[in-house]
Amino acid sequence: MSAVSGFEQWLAPAEAAASGLQWLATRRGEARARVQGQGVPGTKQEAWRYTSLTRLLEQGFSAVAESVPLQPEAIEHLLIPGLEAWRVVLVNGRFAPELSALAGLPAGVRIGSLAEILRTDPDAVKDRLNTIAGPDQPLFSALNTAGLDDGLVVLMDAGTALARPVELIHLSVGSETPRVAQPRHLVVLAAGTQAHLIERYVTLTYALYCTNSVLEVTLGAGAVLEHQRIQLESPDAFHLAALYVRLGAASRYRCTNIAVGASWARTDLTVRFSGEHAACDLQGLYLVGERQLLDVHLDVDHCVPRCVSREYFKGILYGKGRAVFDGCVHVARDAQQTDAAMTNRNLILCEGAEVDTKPQLEIEADDVKCSHGTTVGQLDPEQLFYLRSRGIGAALARRMLCLGFAGEILDALTPEALRMQVTQEVGRRLEQAT
Amino acid sequence: MLSVKGLRAKVGEKEILKGLDLEIGRGEIHAIMGPNGSGKSTLAHVLSGRDGYTVTAGSVTFDGQDLLALAPEERAHLGLFLAFQYPVELPGVNNTYFLKAALNAIRAARGQPELDAVAFMRLMKERLKVLHLDDSLLKRPVNFGFSGGEKKRNEIFQMAMLEPKLAILDETDSGLDIDALRIVADGVNALRNPERSVILVTHYQRLLDYIQPDYVHVLARGQIIRSGGKSLALELEEKGYGWLGIEEAA
Repeated sequence: MSAVSGFEQWLAPAEAAASGLQWLATRRGEARARVQGQGVPGTKQEAWRYTSLTRLLEQGFSAVAESVPLQPEAIEHLLIPGLEAWRVVLVNGRFAPELSALAGLPAGVRIGSLAEILRTDPDAVKDRLNTIAGPDQPLFSALNTAGLDDGLVVLMDAGTALARPVELIHLSVGSETPRVAQPRHLVVLAAGTQAHLIERYVTLTYALYCTNSVLEVTLGAGAVLEHQRIQLESPDAFHLAALYVRLGAASRYRCTNIAVGASWARTDLTVRFSGEHAACDLQGLYLVGERQLLDVHLDVDHCVPRCVSREYFKGILYGKGRAVFDGCVHVARDAQQTDAAMTNRNLILCEGAEVDTKPQLEIEADDVKCSHGTTVGQLDPEQLFYLRSRGIGAALARRMLCLGFAGEILDALTPEALRMQVTQEVGRRLEQAT
Repeated sequence: MLSVKGLRAKVGEKEILKGLDLEIGRGEIHAIMGPNGSGKSTLAHVLSGRDGYTVTAGSVTFDGQDLLALAPEERAHLGLFLAFQYPVELPGVNNTYFLKAALNAIRAARGQPELDAVAFMRLMKERLKVLHLDDSLLKRPVNFGFSGGEKKRNEIFQMAMLEPKLAILDETDSGLDIDALRIVADGVNALRNPERSVILVTHYQRLLDYIQPDYVHVLARGQIIRSGGKSLALELEEKGYGWLGIEEAA
């Protein structure tokens, strides 16, 4: 492995899912070759134009195989009060059955650990795993595939339903050597099914680590997925997330993406419509402060007619925080009557903060309704004065306006206890900013 | 309770207030009238502490304190309230949450315990009743998407909740039809008490048909040029400002 400069240690240890599966070994091997073939992307490559990998490489992250035993009490404070969910907990990327809650799943629904399914019933995932992400994976997805090992699996057969949300808690626990976890998640909803997935990335302690996650989602005809992704990593952490979503005819996908933690967080969200009359609603909030860098990359491919997509991301920047919003909606020549609207709105609280925003539409069809818009602004002095004239101090007034700005996205979070928990966390971080 | 002496203020290089004197006693209602551009709104803004004005001379004391040295929120803590001519929309900020934050900030500054959710709701219901308002505005973001009349009513409701010692109503009558004007005026009258003083800043005599002032002042060219009782307003209504030798600004 000569040319994988810097990333050798990401793939080092033996896999938990060491299964002897030839097809799996082939997919890992191809991804490994792809990593070697690509080398480290520089800032000259468009997708990496605004960010540099140097700082990531300097940390010397390595994959660690050993599991961290935790008692359920250790994570109690991280749970959402009152939430009854099918819960999968991963600790440093590995399934922790003693912390998870999966008893009594209905027939036709599988929720659990990828490593376990690869051991016991690999055919259940063989046709899906890595097929949505496809062969042309960018560096970090390829790295994840090359080390493909454990993560969340949700498989719903046609005609099944889930009465509770599925909750993934990815818990990072610091170790002496900076480690990387590469969880791999697979969600397959057959035709007509509905699910609510809550993904949360949290940490027990402030620590230096890296999470490089990949999620593949397939929605069959008419399936509905409500997806909420909450990233509250440690302030020192690196967090990379690639989401690949394929939407069947008349399916509905809504993703609410909240990014608050990590010193560098990057989300790549790739959505491809594969059947007509489907709709996706991608929305997000990022909060970026001192010593933080955040990237959001959207790639929405309207390759069939009559689908609807909404992309709405809002950001609050303070300190010397820096964000990149790079959104692309592509409408193929045959994708007539596409309806797409992309918006990125940013609120900059201090002079040192910065955002590069680049929404793009690539339209080849001629009968479409597409728009994009972007704003970068500051708090309105009139609004601040109004609040202060009512007796509210300047710092609280600023925070109230920021939360008002963020509320449009945060209000989409359900259940209410989750919305409150995340809103409180956003408010707490804003205390440093205002 | 409010004493303005020789107040001069400018916006940029332009002097708007040119030596203004005004004395307001406890429980009194004063109307300040004047043509457009006379400095009425500037006076309201300078008293409430809005940015963008430079005071070059004079003094303002409120209950013995130097008002001009205080931040806007500190003035509110002392009991000053400005009903805005153009109430500001706060999208995403819930009206109830906003009022609770404001009331508790004022209480905290006065060393009073904060009201809990139950006590706050009780107070809110009681004040809605006094003003004959329903609670439909409370669940919405502050002023966001409100009609002109709803915004002005929301200002009066805030005044009822925050119980100021001195309320300045900056052209609260502008843009209101007669029904909305009556609701606002009834609200102000319902909140009238011997401890609360009110400054009504207005262009028209109309509002004074509904709220009886104790004193009427005419503000022109940055100064109070005449003061009198209610009859002064009627005289203005009849003769226009030209009678006092003032040109209406275009």
